[in-house]
Amino acid sequence: MTVAVNVRGAVKSYGTNRVLDEVDFTAQAGQVTAIIGPSGSGKSTLLRAINHLEPLDSGYVTVRGELIGVRLHKGRLRELSERAILRQRSRIGFVFQSLNLFPHLSVVENVIEAPVVTQRVPKQQAIARAKDLLTKVGLADKIDAYPRQLSGGQQQRVAIARALALEPELILFDEPTSALDPELVGEVLTVIRDLAAAGTTMIVVTHEIGFAREVADHVVFIDAGRVVEQGPPDQVLVAPRHDRTREFLGKLV
Amino acid sequence: MTSSSPPKPSQETELPQPVKESAETAETTDDLVDKLESRRVVPLRHPWRWVASAVVLVLLAQAAHALTTNDAFQWDAFGYWFTRPVVVEGLLLTLQLTGLSAVFGLLGGIVLALMRLSRNPVLQSVAWAYIWLFRSIPLIVLLLFLANITALYATLSLGVPFGPSFVEFSANDLLSFYMVAVLGLSLNEAAYAAEIVRSGIISVDQSQLEAASALGLPKGRQYRRIILPQATRAIIPAYANQLIGLLKGTSVVYITSLLELFGVVQSQASINSGQIIPLLMVGTIWYIVLTSLLSIVQYYLERYFSRGALRTVPPTPFQRLRSRLRTTGVAR
Amino acid sequence: MPSSRRSVRLSLTAAASVVALAALSACGSSAAPPAAAVDASGNTVVTVAANTDFTTPVQLTVPRVEAIRAKLPKAVLDRGTLVIGVGGLPNSTPPLDLIGSDQKTLTGNEPDLGRLVAAVLGLTPDVQNASWQNLFVRLKSGQFDAGFSNITVTEERKVQGLDFATYRKDNLGFEVNKNTTWNFDGNYQSLAGKTVAVNTGTNQEKILIEWRNKLQAEGKTLEIRNFADTNSTYLALSSGRIDAYFYPNPTVAYHVAKTASTPNPTRSAGSYSGAGATLQGLIAATTKKDSGLVEPLAEAINYLIENGQYAKLLAAYGLDDEAIPKAEVNPPGLPINNS
Ligand SMILES: Nc1ncnc2c1ncn2[C@@H]1O[C@H](COP(=O)(O)OP(=O)(O)OP(=O)(O)O)[C@@H](O)[C@H]1O
Ligand SMILES: [Mg+2]
Repeated sequence: MTVAVNVRGAVKSYGTNRVLDEVDFTAQAGQVTAIIGPSGSGKSTLLRAINHLEPLDSGYVTVRGELIGVRLHKGRLRELSERAILRQRSRIGFVFQSLNLFPHLSVVENVIEAPVVTQRVPKQQAIARAKDLLTKVGLADKIDAYPRQLSGGQQQRVAIARALALEPELILFDEPTSALDPELVGEVLTVIRDLAAAGTTMIVVTHEIGFAREVADHVVFIDAGRVVEQGPPDQVLVAPRHDRTREFLGKLV
Repeated sequence: MTSSSPPKPSQETELPQPVKESAETAETTDDLVDKLESRRVVPLRHPWRWVASAVVLVLLAQAAHALTTNDAFQWDAFGYWFTRPVVVEGLLLTLQLTGLSAVFGLLGGIVLALMRLSRNPVLQSVAWAYIWLFRSIPLIVLLLFLANITALYATLSLGVPFGPSFVEFSANDLLSFYMVAVLGLSLNEAAYAAEIVRSGIISVDQSQLEAASALGLPKGRQYRRIILPQATRAIIPAYANQLIGLLKGTSVVYITSLLELFGVVQSQASINSGQIIPLLMVGTIWYIVLTSLLSIVQYYLERYFSRGALRTVPPTPFQRLRSRLRTTGVAR
Repeated sequence: MPSSRRSVRLSLTAAASVVALAALSACGSSAAPPAAAVDASGNTVVTVAANTDFTTPVQLTVPRVEAIRAKLPKAVLDRGTLVIGVGGLPNSTPPLDLIGSDQKTLTGNEPDLGRLVAAVLGLTPDVQNASWQNLFVRLKSGQFDAGFSNITVTEERKVQGLDFATYRKDNLGFEVNKNTTWNFDGNYQSLAGKTVAVNTGTNQEKILIEWRNKLQAEGKTLEIRNFADTNSTYLALSSGRIDAYFYPNPTVAYHVAKTASTPNPTRSAGSYSGAGATLQGLIAATTKKDSGLVEPLAEAINYLIENGQYAKLLAAYGLDDEAIPKAEVNPPGLPINNS
């Protein structure tokens, strides 16, 4: 098993609020890692730190062994140029919680934008691929619609297709289902499940404990910016070792 | 009847008489549907709308009558002046000045807005100072200053500040009055356009930039493809306002010895002083024509840039007219 | 004290700014040259009062006078042109300066006198129309050689660095609506209870204020109104918001004639010497101080006075009453304390 993502000693503060406090964790290639934890515990911040949308104060992140957003120079970590960071990001898919589609572009334009611009895929080829992807997420008939003409679950699936269009080696999901009603949650989870089956490396911040148990290979529970407990879902979610984890899971039920 | 209240009471009171009777005899409203003569709901009538429309139309007719029959307006003089070459020349100058300074002003405004929004404190404060300065200087003083820059600098040069210069121009050769006018209007316009563009950009949700940068889109592309098209939607109405102001504001260029539409009208009125009112009407009607054209362009631009922002784009007036004719059976 | 328009008080001291420009096509705005031709004996024939619909053109022959020409600064001689500035934008002041009936050519008493003077000096006239403010900026920067634009000699303008060679005095007049009966009988008391418009910063205003003060002392009133420009003053007159408009008599006469066949005709209700009680105001050709032009200008005007062209010019525009016997250089002007 190879390590896909490695987070070491991640620290991030907003003023005096230490949102990430020496976070260490790894995600294996080809596996689904679920991050759970109470609201405000730093899950989104951690996820955003992985593709350098949120620069760390100290610590570092590697994806398949490559430092993200920084480089090693004379024993110190120096921030990369904006351009280099953007290039790294184009290999990491990110699906936001909500409202992240470009409303003035049609569904297919949303999906092909990044491959055409960052990977110089010819437009016709990108469109053909986008159609495949959209078919895969069940939106073959919506390619010319605009995002606001779609339901919430459909929008979320477009967002996933957009992230997939870059053929990323890693996809980060930030609460992909929190804005959706239960029926739509199903639509999105099906897509993620299919991706998992195909062996895509994914890190998913989620409140869906059932989903985490079913799909995740590895669960990380964080609280107040610290990793409290991590391990296989059967352990963390069914027989947690820490009181804090038990308390959190108890509240959810 | 006692247990179930009708779901839409207003609808029931609108029902035709015979149906109402049968509804009263019915045990419940559940089987009402079978007893209706027609299922169509009769819409509420609005008699006061008709009254209000009639009043407004009468007032309009009176205004039209007052305008056309009062000889103070000297409509024959109006007709003479309306298409006089001197007036048309002024009109063309107005159009050129407005067009050029609208374009240069907008380009400058975009650059200034991006500077103000950048994280570079030098760019930020330079843009801020520019906007502050050019919104403070009266346009007329700016134009007079530029027109007479030769009194201060006989030559203008491009080169290193305080160092050698590469090219030198005689200010008088370079700056014709026409260019002074375009330059002055554009410098002024850019300051206002900058704020309009900035307001458009900050009206686009921050998450759009974040999403674009998560996809790895280059910075320039993020702005060109993602932010500006969405900002444009907010920019258009405000900039159209600004343009209409500019259209009429160009009249101050008389200070640099150019006469545009209003200047010509003023100048001719001061010579043909018995015809001040018809001449002012000539200017007014031309401005109305130009403003109307701008409003039409604005309408279609807004429609174009509302793609995706509205679930359904509203029909154009033309389409609306056609569909109305179709529903009344006039056109098919 | 005659009709002076507002004086320029815009001081343009500005910090250096680097102006980078894309070169665009240039397009000037000087008025078309007048009908002037040099005849067989080397005299210039100038057509004055050309292109107007209220008077008839007159051809005047003007010889080039070498003795005066010799006094011109070398730079002007080398250039061969006399740049004449007129402040007729956007509002003309007919019959003193106006755009001709071809709606293009700048004509009127002032530019025509400039053309005659240029002929005496053997220079090609280059008449440029400008806004009143721009006229003064350009005179002071030397871009215009001489202003012929109904400019009154004032002490303030002398301080600002201008020289004057006088060529005309003027009379003031009252314009009223034709359907009214009031007349000015030469006595300020006939203005009691009236509302009169006047141009700001002029000698007419000074005279009116003096009369108002006298009337107030007698327990009577005179209301003075200032409008942005002549057009709005005319509109106020025809709408009856003012009883009379007090301004230069030649323009009163012109405007009365122009409105005769319109729905709101006016008439002249009497005139008054622009000299007022104590001062003789004068209109002058205006030039940058110590440019060396003021003497030759004055001598050229005197030449035209002595040889009759001057009188014919004024007659062509109906300005005979404003003639002066002799051009003077920098005579006493409107005092500075007069606002
Ligand atoms: N830009 C910011 N400035 C200041 N504080 C911030 C910022 N972003 C996040 N925070 C704070 O950091 C903490 C962690 O935020 P984060 O969004 O990571 O929480 P989360 O675990 O994702 O919570 P949720 O489950 O509610 O989404 C919160 O207390 C939040 O208020
Ligand atoms: Mg979150």
